This record gives sequence, structure tokens and C-alpha cells, in this order.
Amino acid sequence: MSAESACFAVSCVSEQTTGTRALQKEQQLNRFLAEVERRALRIAEIGVRDRDDALDLVQDAMIKLARNYSDRSSDEWTPLFYRILQNGVRDWHRRQAVRNRVMVWFGRGKRDDEDFDIVAAAPDPMGRSPDEELQNSEAMDSLENAVRELPLRQREAFMLRTFEGLDVAGTAVAMGCSEGSVKTHYSRAIHSLRDTLREHDETV
Amino acid sequence: MKQSDEKLAQEAKVLFDESVDELDAATLSTLNQSRQKALAELHAPPTQWLRWVPAAAMATAAFLVVTIILPGPANIPSVPADVTDMEILLGEDSIEMLEDLEFYAWIDMLEQENDVG
Repeated sequence: MSAESACFAVSCVSEQTTGTRALQKEQQLNRFLAEVERRALRIAEIGVRDRDDALDLVQDAMIKLARNYSDRSSDEWTPLFYRILQNGVRDWHRRQAVRNRVMVWFGRGKRDDEDFDIVAAAPDPMGRSPDEELQNSEAMDSLENAVRELPLRQREAFMLRTFEGLDVAGTAVAMGCSEGSVKTHYSRAIHSLRDTLREHDETV
Repeated sequence: MKQSDEKLAQEAKVLFDESVDELDAATLSTLNQSRQKALAELHAPPTQWLRWVPAAAMATAAFLVVTIILPGPANIPSVPADVTDMEILLGEDSIEMLEDLEFYAWIDMLEQENDVG
């Protein structure tokens, strides 16, 4: 084999290896996003109270993760993804606050019937009885409302630790704070939720 | 963490997971599309240079403002030195003075004598 053909062969093998690695990375990222996307959507939805806005936020987080952090180790993806998502939720709240001030200025409030969701009002696809569905739905509504009443940082700590199952270190990365702060926020969140849900049960 | 806290967290997790399982087909389809868009980013060409576009635009605008719009001392007309010299050389008085150079020398000598006297 001549020197030129040897170089060509080495170059081909190198390109093949790079291509295989890129494909593996894409498959790995696809699996990660597919695994996390539904929980991320519900977490964002609890944060912003709107499914469409939550879908937009999750899409933005996915794109930013792929664009900026796909070369990082896959172990780092979960906290990074949630950090991007939580930043998006915070920005959303800031924009809403400005929007609400402008709408109040122009005297336009939100109509009561805007929250009605025809899909949510459809029958349960899991085939549960109306009573069971109602019970679970009411319990989840109570929980969601209680979570929404939490201060922002407590809500983030609770949702990331409980719903997503991140450990303290991962939650700290996702929230951009120390592990001690995560523990404090989470502990306060649990106590507030217990009090709020107890009050709700007593009222019902 | 207390046992009651753990129980609350577990119950919340169960409710949350149920709500995740209940997501409708349209929502899941939208999520799938979002994921494909994100994965397409892996094949997108690098756009690092785009980050400099706003800064370059600002710098250009600032340069134009300074050089064109704002008035400065550069607007005061200056007389080139060679033009001034030419005017002196070509002035009629200067030529007359050169012609009567001896007369002016004589006057100067008289004035010096008067000063001494």
C-alpha cells in the first residue's frame, strides 16, 4: 500500500469514527429528551398555568440544550436542561408582569371563559370511573394550586426534587444556588404545602 | 426529613406522574416535533459570528454619528500656509517696498542718528 492510499484510508476511518460518534450523540440526546419532555412540560405548565406557553418553553429549553450543551457529558444534561427551563419560566413571569401592567393601563382584563379547555373537559382516556377521575383530578388540582402558591424558589426546589427526582446537587445546579439553599427551600416548601393542603382538606 | 414529609412528597409524586401519563396525543405530538427541531440543531452550521452582528452595527452607527452628524472644529476653514505666502509675494505693496529698498534704508539710518543725538 502506498503512502497516499494509507493516508486516505486513515482519513476515511477518522471521518467514519467522527460520524459514528455524532450519530451516537444524537441518539443519546434523543433518548434523554424523550425521557424528560413530558415531566418537563408538566413542571413548566404548573409554573406558568398555560399548556401552550409551557410547550414553547420546553421547546426553547430543548433547542438551547442541543445547541449549547450537547457536547457535555450526558450526566450533566438533566440539571442543565432544567436550569434553562427554569430561567425560561422566570423570564415568562417577568414578561407577564409587564404585559399585565400594560393591559391594566389600557383597561383590558382577562375574560373568565378564556381558561376553558375543551380537551381537558373530554372523557378520561385511561378509562377510570368518573368518581375516580374526579377524585384524582381534584387532588392534583389542590396540589397544583398549593405548589403555585409557594414562593418561586421553593416551588422550583420542590418540583425538581419531588417531581423530577433530582438529587440535592443536581437541583443546586438547576437552580443556580448552593446545596444548602436547596435544602432550605425544599424544607420550607414541604412545610408550606402540608399546611396548605391540610387547610384545603379541612375546608372540603 | 420527617416521615410525614416523605409521605407527602411520595403522594405528590404519584399524583404528578398520573398527570404526566394523562397527557393527550396532540400534546405528545407537539413535544415530539419540538424534540426533532432540537435534534436538527446538532446539524446546523455554527452561528458564532452572528453574535458580533449587533456589536458591529452599533460601532458603525456610532462612527457615522461622530463623523457625519456631529459638528466639530474641523468645520472651521483653515488657510493653507502656501496660499498666505503667495498673497504676500504677489501683493503690490511688497513689490514697491522692494523697489525703494535704498530709500527705506536711508530713513532707518536717519532715525538711528536722531535717537543717538
